[in-house]
Amino acid sequence: PLDPASPPSLPLPRSFVLKCLEQARRAQAEAVAMQEKLCAMHKLCHPEELALLGHSLGIPWAHLRSCSSQDLQLASCLRQLQAGLLLYQGLLQALAGVSPELSPTVDTLQLDVADFATTVWQQMEELGVAPATQPMQGIMPTFTSAFQRQAGGVLVASHLQSFLELAYRTLRYLTGP
Amino acid sequence: ENCGHISISAPIVRLGDPVTASCTVSQSCSYLEPEPRILWKLGAELLQHKGRQQTQPDGSQESIITLPSLNSTHTFLLCYLNWSNSLQLLDQVELWAGHPPAMPYNLSCLMNLMSNSLICQWEPGPDTHLPTNFTLKSFKSRGDCQTKEDPIKDCVPADGQSYCSIPRKHLILYQNMVIWVQAENALGTSQSPQLCLDPMDVVKLEPPTLLAVDPHPEVALPQPDCLWLRWEPWKPSLYMDQKCELRYRPQLQGASWAQVGPLPSRTVRYELCELRPATAYALQMRCIRALLPGQWSSWSPSLELQTT
Repeated sequence: PLDPASPPSLPLPRSFVLKCLEQARRAQAEAVAMQEKLCAMHKLCHPEELALLGHSLGIPWAHLRSCSSQDLQLASCLRQLQAGLLLYQGLLQALAGVSPELSPTVDTLQLDVADFATTVWQQMEELGVAPATQPMQGIMPTFTSAFQRQAGGVLVASHLQSFLELAYRTLRYLTGP
Repeated sequence: ENCGHISISAPIVRLGDPVTASCTVSQSCSYLEPEPRILWKLGAELLQHKGRQQTQPDGSQESIITLPSLNSTHTFLLCYLNWSNSLQLLDQVELWAGHPPAMPYNLSCLMNLMSNSLICQWEPGPDTHLPTNFTLKSFKSRGDCQTKEDPIKDCVPADGQSYCSIPRKHLILYQNMVIWVQAENALGTSQSPQLCLDPMDVVKLEPPTLLAVDPHPEVALPQPDCLWLRWEPWKPSLYMDQKCELRYRPQLQGASWAQVGPLPSRTVRYELCELRPATAYALQMRCIRALLPGQWSSWSPSLELQTT
């Protein structure tokens, strides 16, 4: 459990944290909607069964190691959050054309993840902890079949969910008691 | 070769401004009459003795006319030749008169969570009598909108409309942007004051849904002066922290609303007491984004409940 007693010293504006909380919830709701649609339409309802496929497709994960409760390093936590959001924006972009019915959800989620990354990046700039250049998205997987794109969609939505959940808890902790 | 040709100072002028025109009749056209009389009409009105006519070095005839004050917003200026006692039309031009656009005002915007677009509306100002184009212009910014970042694609409203919808893909949510309206016609351009806003701070929130719930199952005899209800936030806004207000009044002539709040945006059971027994009540609720800027939703439709 996070120690609510003493959030870190970096002066994070409360409005920034509140906005991030809302953006995290908003993106989470859309990621859930994306998973529900993939489950309903393609019967792909268990991301845990797709771990091997995910590995073979080279779908990367984003981590938030500096955001853990034991050793919260806020500057690098923000950097990992922003880099992770950029990664998921790229992954969602790679899923373009997954299916006509799903595209609106994926497109909206991609925009919302991108906006969340912008919110974090601008705050990092204002705090003077932003790296000189934005991190690169890295090599994106290539989906060569409809099934791969659908399965990739399930994995990306699931990974993004977990990522956002951890981000949300960290942000919650940052709002202090 | 043109038989007769009208040249004009400007086809579009301000209402009440002068207009000067000349009509030149080539010699080949007026071949039978050495000095044919050139006549003018404005709309249907024959302008008697208004043109100063002279022969040009090349033998053509030119008549120059000045209309001191054009007062109709749209008319025609016609050049005739009095030829063999009949008026022959040689050329005509359209004339418009109007005003440069006034500054559009009352610009306001709402973020629609259903369409995920930012809808802005404005007052166009008085009629200019001329074709006038309105464009919703904006650019991305940050902080207090002193910096100009990426421009956003112009939003062009449908003809005659005073609102425009900026689609989600052109927006960055949770960041400030600068928005204004530009009006333009042949006589000039004007711009509304600029707005600095984050689309998420102007979300159009819909009211929650009020629902009746049965009195507590364990309670044999429900209190006569209480009502039980629950409510759920508007689904598209589930991710937003909201606070709400409940208002209620007895269905009696002249009864006024009483209000309770702030209340959470969702609850599975709420008990409202100290009411009149055996009375029908109307209840309504509205919500607003908590902790961050926002606007109140409208009041929900009434839920009608009766105390026992």
